[in-house]
Amino acid sequence: MRERLSNVFVEQAKKDPNYIMLSGDHGYALFDPIRKECPDQFLNVGVAEQSMVGYAAGLCKIGMKPVIYGLSAFVPMRVLEQIKLDLCHSSHNVTIIGDGAGLVYAKLGSSHQCCEDLSVVRALPNMTVYSPCDIYELESCFLKALSEDNPTYIRLGKADRPTVHNQNIENFGIQNIHNSESTVAILATGSMVSVAKKVAKELNVSAFSVPQIVPMDCHLSKKLRTFSLLIICEEHSTTGGLYSAILEELALTDSLLGKRIKSIGIQKKFNKYCGSWEYAMSEHQLTDENIFDRIKLLIED
Amino acid sequence: MELNPSKIRLEILNMAYRGRSVHIPSAFSIVEIVCVLFNQYIEVNEKNSDLFVLSKGHGAMSLYVVLVLKGVLPKEYLINYFQDGSLLHGLSEYHVPGIEVSGGSLGHGLPIATGMAYGLKKIKKSNKKVFCLIGDGELNEGSNWESILFANHHQLDNLILILDFNKYQAMGRIEDVLKLEPLEQKFKSFGFDCSKCNGHDLKSLEETLTALVKNTNSKPKVLIADTVKGKGLTFMENNNTWHYTVLDEKTFEEALNEVGRNA
Repeated sequence: MRERLSNVFVEQAKKDPNYIMLSGDHGYALFDPIRKECPDQFLNVGVAEQSMVGYAAGLCKIGMKPVIYGLSAFVPMRVLEQIKLDLCHSSHNVTIIGDGAGLVYAKLGSSHQCCEDLSVVRALPNMTVYSPCDIYELESCFLKALSEDNPTYIRLGKADRPTVHNQNIENFGIQNIHNSESTVAILATGSMVSVAKKVAKELNVSAFSVPQIVPMDCHLSKKLRTFSLLIICEEHSTTGGLYSAILEELALTDSLLGKRIKSIGIQKKFNKYCGSWEYAMSEHQLTDENIFDRIKLLIED
Repeated sequence: MELNPSKIRLEILNMAYRGRSVHIPSAFSIVEIVCVLFNQYIEVNEKNSDLFVLSKGHGAMSLYVVLVLKGVLPKEYLINYFQDGSLLHGLSEYHVPGIEVSGGSLGHGLPIATGMAYGLKKIKKSNKKVFCLIGDGELNEGSNWESILFANHHQLDNLILILDFNKYQAMGRIEDVLKLEPLEQKFKSFGFDCSKCNGHDLKSLEETLTALVKNTNSKPKVLIADTVKGKGLTFMENNNTWHYTVLDEKTFEEALNEVGRNA
């Protein structure tokens, strides 16, 4: 996924000299193609995320189109106020990439883990928020973000999950990834989409990917009308992320009545023990097996 | 039209009294600096003009008055200051014509100005200069020092930082809260071309700035403008309670007498 990010940027940067990628000393080999192909359009600002956001705003003011790259634990989390004031208040065309979202850095510890980013950026005015699940959604979201004239946040989580789509997506509403006659639907975003698709097949229920979190699909209520049980899966806190976004949208159109809506996501606690990503996920009952069992239980309930 | 410091102070007094605004000393501290910048370098809405970033948003009233005197903003904005539905806030905001960045939260202006200077020099190959006015209390913010490192590393000699060195921050004297001295050595050791002058003397400001700007030695520039918080009003100068105090009828009259009603 990260390779695709780098390649898409190189393609765009070669076409338009105003694109520039900024990194706060993160990404290492990820940026090799950019450094090689368009060295003037890459800038490592040093370990200085807060001023990086300011530099991006300044570059935007003189006609550039900056992309800022960081780990989501730092961009947007650490520099939230800079994003609010320097980018959102003035609605600058800056694309923010927050990599390693969720529990990707399981072995490094809580400093590098990030399960709250969607909750906070969702509240910022003028911000569009994407959470792609595979290379196809990533490319589509990134190209869309680059073409928009407001700030956008792209959340990148666990990058080696199975690919879900077989081509780029054409609209940014919820994507039907498994169809069924069932009245149960799983809605998932980012790293949880592939497991949602697998479980949906096994249990013969429907599944959707949600690549764009803000603004939420305005046809959500209509698309989910026939379902009585919705199960929301995300590698993000159950407070303020996809689950909240869907509840809010359905409530807006008075479409909650007659529906059970259940959340499967990161619990509100820090991981104390070290281990693999799978181990870290197990602390929140979020391994692939956990998810299968939990969904099965909810359906039978 | 040359901007006149006494006229600017008078307008600030009027708007602050009508609007019951605090932060008068912060605005008075930078009057001469903005005078020189707008007399000499900055032409709002002029494509080829140098650029100005007011980072210390607390001095906004000085900039508002200058923008009105320059015809960028309508005079009514001063008369309606702080009324419901009026455009100008107590701290400078981006959506006001002539104001480049929102400056109320400290430590934002310099990173943005630095990004502008980098893009202009390194990518757009432009000769435009970027002036950024910050407060001394604002230098407590780490983001400024990140930008200072960056500006030196990338040899941004088109970045001119002006420090309103009035020796006060919100809760007290800089010296008592968080020491900045020795400032000149600090800036020099960070690779900046550093000059110091009387920040209330137009001639001194003009000459020092001209010399700094002319010097294309690949070093970013800093002008330490020696200023007095509340300059121009004896009862306000170096009295930090005025950071939080509004003028009443008596102090307003006293202020008018000292600044000159017909400035």
